[in-house]
Amino acid sequence: MKNPIFDIENWREIGATLARNKTRTFLTAFGIFWGTAMLAMLWGGAKGLEGMLMRNFSGFATNLGAVFPSRTTMPYKGYNKGMEWDLTINDIANIRRMTPGIDCSTTISGIWGKVNYATKSKNATAIGIESDYTRILVPVIYSGRLINQSDVASTRKVAVIGKNLADELFGDEPSVGKYISINGIYLLVIGVAGQTSEVQLYGRIDDSVLIPASTMFRAFRHTNDVEGFLYTAVKGKTPTDLQPYIRRAVLASHPIDPDDDGALWFMDISERFKMVETLFLGISLLALFVGAGSLMAGIIGVGNIMWIIVKERTQEIGIRRAIGAKPRDIIMQILSESVVLTTIAGIAGVCFATIVLGIADKITYDPVLGSAHFELHFRHAVFIVLTFMTLGTAAGTMPAIKAMRIKPVEAMRDK
Amino acid sequence: MRLLYRMAIRPVHHIMIIQLKDINKTYPGSVPLHVLKGINLDIERGELVSIMGASGSGKSTLLNIIGILDNYDTGSYTLDGIPIKGLNENRAAELRNRMIGFVFQSFNLISYKNAVENVALPLFYQGVSRRQRNRLAMEQLERMGLADRAHHLPGEMSGGQKQRVAIARALITKPSIILADEPTGALDSHTSREVMEVFRSLNAQGMTIVIVTHDPGVGAETNRIIRISDGIIMPDNA
Repeated sequence: MKNPIFDIENWREIGATLARNKTRTFLTAFGIFWGTAMLAMLWGGAKGLEGMLMRNFSGFATNLGAVFPSRTTMPYKGYNKGMEWDLTINDIANIRRMTPGIDCSTTISGIWGKVNYATKSKNATAIGIESDYTRILVPVIYSGRLINQSDVASTRKVAVIGKNLADELFGDEPSVGKYISINGIYLLVIGVAGQTSEVQLYGRIDDSVLIPASTMFRAFRHTNDVEGFLYTAVKGKTPTDLQPYIRRAVLASHPIDPDDDGALWFMDISERFKMVETLFLGISLLALFVGAGSLMAGIIGVGNIMWIIVKERTQEIGIRRAIGAKPRDIIMQILSESVVLTTIAGIAGVCFATIVLGIADKITYDPVLGSAHFELHFRHAVFIVLTFMTLGTAAGTMPAIKAMRIKPVEAMRDK
Repeated sequence: MRLLYRMAIRPVHHIMIIQLKDINKTYPGSVPLHVLKGINLDIERGELVSIMGASGSGKSTLLNIIGILDNYDTGSYTLDGIPIKGLNENRAAELRNRMIGFVFQSFNLISYKNAVENVALPLFYQGVSRRQRNRLAMEQLERMGLADRAHHLPGEMSGGQKQRVAIARALITKPSIILADEPTGALDSHTSREVMEVFRSLNAQGMTIVIVTHDPGVGAETNRIIRISDGIIMPDNA
């Protein structure tokens, strides 16, 4: 017995039937086309939205913790509550000594000052940092180099200036190797940098001046106090995991009640990221839900239209049965038609969605941040088409069985 | 394989092509309807026969049984030497395809297929290649004088042309008999005569033809009239 799948005659017959009934074919095909396109667009779109948000954090350590001193909220050892206190370089040394699991860390302090070059001046924040800072918030280097360990160790009077600042002070002139002054103190420009992420620590790098932390203390702050401490946890630990160690190290040298949670302000960026991740899990689930809905609607549409088609073709099927079509021939014909339609329309839908996603990607493309990845993975595309094919066939089964049951006598009945 | 099939279907040359013995058929329902009440009928090879009767006489049911479109309850039916009883759908379709050429009152052509494709359709279900079946279909259309209409859709043809296409379709499998159900019912008198002329000439070439009709004019053009009334065949002299 011939296998109908490998019989060219069958395919010719299906092709002819579909081609001769253009409206019907188009209506069925459009339902599937739209279903697959919706599903594919939602899938790729959710990915793109996530990409759009996540690219704002590109170059930013997602397991960042921050510690800042705050007024005490409880009286302790004769001190009133509301006492101000400062983190000192000693505290930082203690933290680093006593806390296991810190990956990279830097103190951070800033001053607001007037930056001068030649006759031009501009107000900007100068940020005192250590070399690990550039691993926490990875800058884009436009020219020169970044602050390194030896700059900090030797208290060099050097500065990395932000891209925007460099444009304003120097214009087209190269800035590396020139001297700028901040509040009257001269610093050698060693590099120009910017940032890709939207995260701001004391303002964007593009608008600030980065200088070694040691230079900041000696030239501008004249104290051993730091404003804050940034750190990242090693893989497998969160910044919050390290919090008790840091607390213990700090409280050892300050008259702060061990139960005073308000005196030391902690921030764990990874928790914010978890929130974002949860949000996008929600968006993905919603997309999946809506996509599955449109999929179901498409499939039911196919089933419905196949059902109507079978009703409409009762006479034709009756004629075919009378002149020798076996029940199997009829069922194969109806099913093959729905499979062919589903496959072609499904592939067209995925192609259409790919074009739409491509346009979305082009529109949201950012020269600095790059693509948001509005795209559909090939295996997801295959998955969508295969799902539609399977479900389309399933939806065609009931009408096909109904068609098979049509008695040839029906053809004799006049319409 | 196919050859064996043919041999099995057409074993010997039977003189009696249709033999119905005491056929009974009742349609079940709240009031069961006994439509055929012991039909006995023999039709010889090469006959041109008409079955006549009023509507509700059971002639359509009889046609359906002869055409293997319907089952009967008791009795026996032999078509060209093959007992037709309790066949499954596949076997029935196979026998219809190879042994019976149907011609219907409303032509029953497939509207989106042109004349050649309509005529060739029975061969599609025999697995004949497209080229081959289109060639054979063209031959049949030429025989019906419709070669110039070969690529027209049924909607573009007159009733007489449509019926001749339907006859060409009935002939293409070289069946044992042609069964025509009110073949002139939808045609005007002039065209009816033309179609009857076609049947007569086919009969002259040896084809067995059974026509079901209520039109006495059509009956008069056949060689034998079988009258059926209330589920029973009337004696010849009635």
